[in-house]
Amino acid sequence: MTLDGHDIPLLAALTAAIVAPLAAALHIGRGGAPADPRQPAILSLVVALVASLTITRFWMSGPEVTLELGQRLGGGYLVHVDGLTAVLLPFVALVELAIVMVAPKRFLDGPATVRILLGAATRLALFATSHPLVLIVAWVATALPIWSSTRATPGGQIAARVYAIIMTMAVASMTVGTLMMIADPPWEAGGGAVGASGGWLVALAVLVRKGIVPFHSWYPALFRGAPMSTALAATVPQIASYTAVRLFFGHADHGDGVGAELIVLSQLALLTATYGAALALVQRDLRGLIGTLAMSQSALVLAGLAGKLPMELNGAFCTWISSGLALTGLGLVGWALESRAGPLSLETPQGRFADAPLLAAFFLLFGLSAIGLPGTLSFVADDLLVSGSLDEQLHAGLLVIAATVLSAIAVMRGWLMVFGGPSSVDGPRHHLLPRERIALTALFGTIVLLGLWPAPLVRELERAGSELLGVPVGGRGAAEHHPDQGTGPTSPSGDAS
Amino acid sequence: MTFFAAFLAAAPLNRLFGLLDVSAASTHAIVSLLVVLQLAAPAATLVLVGLPALLDRPLREQTTTRLVGGAFTLAFLAGLVTLAVLASRGFAPEQVHLGTWFSVGHHDATVDLVADGLSVPYVCFSTGLCALVNAFAGKYLHREPGFTRFFVLLTLFGTGMNLMVLAGSIDVLFAGWEFLGISSTMLIGFFHERTNALKAALRAFTTYRICDVGLLAAGVMIHRAVGSGDFERLFEGVWPNADCLVSPGNATLVSLLLVFAAMGKSAQVPFSNWLPRAMEGPTPSSAIFYGALSIHAGAYVLLRCEALLDAAPVARVALVLIGGFTAIHAALVGRVQTDLKSMLAYASMTQAGIIFVEIGLGFRVVALVHIVSHAILRSLQILRSPSALHDRHELEAALGGHPGAASWSVVKLFPEKTQAWLYRVALDRGFEEMAVARFVVGPVRRLLERLEEAETAWIDWLGTPAADRERDRAGRRQQQGRPR
Repeated sequence: MTLDGHDIPLLAALTAAIVAPLAAALHIGRGGAPADPRQPAILSLVVALVASLTITRFWMSGPEVTLELGQRLGGGYLVHVDGLTAVLLPFVALVELAIVMVAPKRFLDGPATVRILLGAATRLALFATSHPLVLIVAWVATALPIWSSTRATPGGQIAARVYAIIMTMAVASMTVGTLMMIADPPWEAGGGAVGASGGWLVALAVLVRKGIVPFHSWYPALFRGAPMSTALAATVPQIASYTAVRLFFGHADHGDGVGAELIVLSQLALLTATYGAALALVQRDLRGLIGTLAMSQSALVLAGLAGKLPMELNGAFCTWISSGLALTGLGLVGWALESRAGPLSLETPQGRFADAPLLAAFFLLFGLSAIGLPGTLSFVADDLLVSGSLDEQLHAGLLVIAATVLSAIAVMRGWLMVFGGPSSVDGPRHHLLPRERIALTALFGTIVLLGLWPAPLVRELERAGSELLGVPVGGRGAAEHHPDQGTGPTSPSGDAS
Repeated sequence: MTFFAAFLAAAPLNRLFGLLDVSAASTHAIVSLLVVLQLAAPAATLVLVGLPALLDRPLREQTTTRLVGGAFTLAFLAGLVTLAVLASRGFAPEQVHLGTWFSVGHHDATVDLVADGLSVPYVCFSTGLCALVNAFAGKYLHREPGFTRFFVLLTLFGTGMNLMVLAGSIDVLFAGWEFLGISSTMLIGFFHERTNALKAALRAFTTYRICDVGLLAAGVMIHRAVGSGDFERLFEGVWPNADCLVSPGNATLVSLLLVFAAMGKSAQVPFSNWLPRAMEGPTPSSAIFYGALSIHAGAYVLLRCEALLDAAPVARVALVLIGGFTAIHAALVGRVQTDLKSMLAYASMTQAGIIFVEIGLGFRVVALVHIVSHAILRSLQILRSPSALHDRHELEAALGGHPGAASWSVVKLFPEKTQAWLYRVALDRGFEEMAVARFVVGPVRRLLERLEEAETAWIDWLGTPAADRERDRAGRRQQQGRPR
């Protein structure tokens, strides 16, 4: 294979995005910044973010910039940069950067920073490959720092053990399934039962890794037992969704471009989204609330991924990004508040408004951003997801609506319980640190910017989705028949009745 | 409509505009500009007041009230000029297409606004009220810790209201509707240190979100039916005599969903119990939300889609029944309230119910006039309520006792047993809350709590090694004094 002219800068940007956090991790690991590891970590993640945005810019500049390198083994490439990667890389880099900026000092010693940076580099690398074997390695490489960080946290042993059990199951299922698919490729003509069974094993792995019912319990457990940075890094990027897209999309044996496995997964995901949102209503602590919300929102993404309409697929991609950014913000605000005031119960009003009004404002803004506040990306995402789901299946649309309604009530209850109630002043008013304010403002600003001006993102996601489905842009669903279409003001007599 | 046309025909501004002989294209450009101004003024103020507060640098009180008051006054004046322009053209609707927000497949989210005989008078009325309440609140909330927060929420509400009223598509209307719900919730919980205020805010928000399902689903159905959310594809003609362009089946489905959505915001039975509790918020917000604008938001949506209701007799019957029942319920319950704000809340609910009946019966202009007149009267009553209580106390002090209640009541026409029963029903607020709590909220909550307990137990079991579990069990047995 040869590299085209535009591939080289793309590859250089990708390398910079992955190598920068790796280099910083190495530097800190060798004792290069014992006093304040935050600075090199921030610098490296800024480099990763800029490099990722460069890749996005390349992708948006024209249709012929998809980078595919390496042997096409098992349906994927070693290096694969397309529209999905171009959108997800800056998203992951921004989330990791915000985590490092807001993390309280006592949670950001040398080893913890190294773990965060290694995890960030692995996740960035993972989103630039579609090679099944590399994906397996990346699953393990991303899970290990999370497990180790959780295990090292006081009181995190239960969560670490649950996470280890779940991940072992997921990786084993993924490995066996992938090997079966490679041995008997179901996407090739004449693919047999072995490959098809492998596909279902991979689906099981995705099910477990994504916390879909009945394998969902590790989500809230991790949020309760691990540092917030670890829990967010484990759940927000949605590695399993990415794997599902890479392995189940565009197969020749599926007429509509979506694997049958994904359709089954999406039905379970719909249930999970609603169930998670319902559980969020009765959580007794803030971490449990964020964990169950993350479980619900993550399931919504998978539910939308099986959509046969570009609208639904686009809604899933938008939810991926909007809920990821919003939940990161919500988690970081909760973490900042916890580091000042201790664990936060939702059983009685905690009265935190008076001593942390800005955190209250950010909590509310991020919470509402996760549930479809107009003017934010989640409003666009909800609109597309609900419309697409209802267009396709009534029950799917109703479950998506139920999930969004329940999540919204849970978020508002959380806000009222944490910040409302008689003031419990236990010291001076808690001002936000400049780094916290910058990170939270940048996150919220991104959500608002993409919400007020969503057209470029939606257009690129539609292009990426069409490429994945193997249909022309706007091809499917664009020519759908509408019972009353065409009965506009110019043809009032055209009532479809 | 004739009422407005006659009123404006006599207005000097309208005569002046008529003399200018402006072309249709110029009229469209002028109206577009004015409509955008009505929306942009409160939205810009929201950013100007909200952003410094978010950066921990809130503006001074005087600056805040001047900015907010200026924005609402500007929007009000822009509305008046638009009204004059429209009146001179016989209230023919002017569509303002601001562009396509985003587009995927056949799904176009357009940003369309509409200036017509419904939206523009309503904007004048709502921005005028907001400007007055701003002036009142500037004094009323002086040195209140949440001063800036109140005005941020007031501008958010104003922006949402104008967005909803001027919406030319269901997508834009839904966005405005959501802003209304959020600002309303936050203002009910304004005094966040009071537990009752928190409970009231959560109750209101829950009701809103449940009923928002109706609007959300209606939006999707409209997109499915006509491929877009634009109202001009749903109906055409001059309000209130527009013609429906969709099939009766679609019109009925969408209308019923809209009625469901309207029931929440307009506090119709069985979604009414949030309203009396919403009075936990500051008096200015109670006046503008639950006496004037928010309580009528549902009715406005129904008026906007009146052409659909014309093609949906089932929905109209439902409206009459729901509105009638709510009016009777609220009139009855309101009679036994022991505090002034609750009494006014039930009075608002009664009028909202009657307005629903009017819309259901097809009296659209009557309903609009009713909304405006009721809103003005009720907001005055609520704003006056603190000083009215003070006056009452002074009167009682001067008289040396209770001045006495009215001696006659319509209830006295009923037999004594019925009177006693009605009194009991009214005291228990028609058993509405009890029924909802016992048969809906309670069982759902208990089920979810059991599920959560099971989840926690499962995680503990899975996350604890077998040896540790056995050791824990042994320890517990030892503590209980039951050796193995």
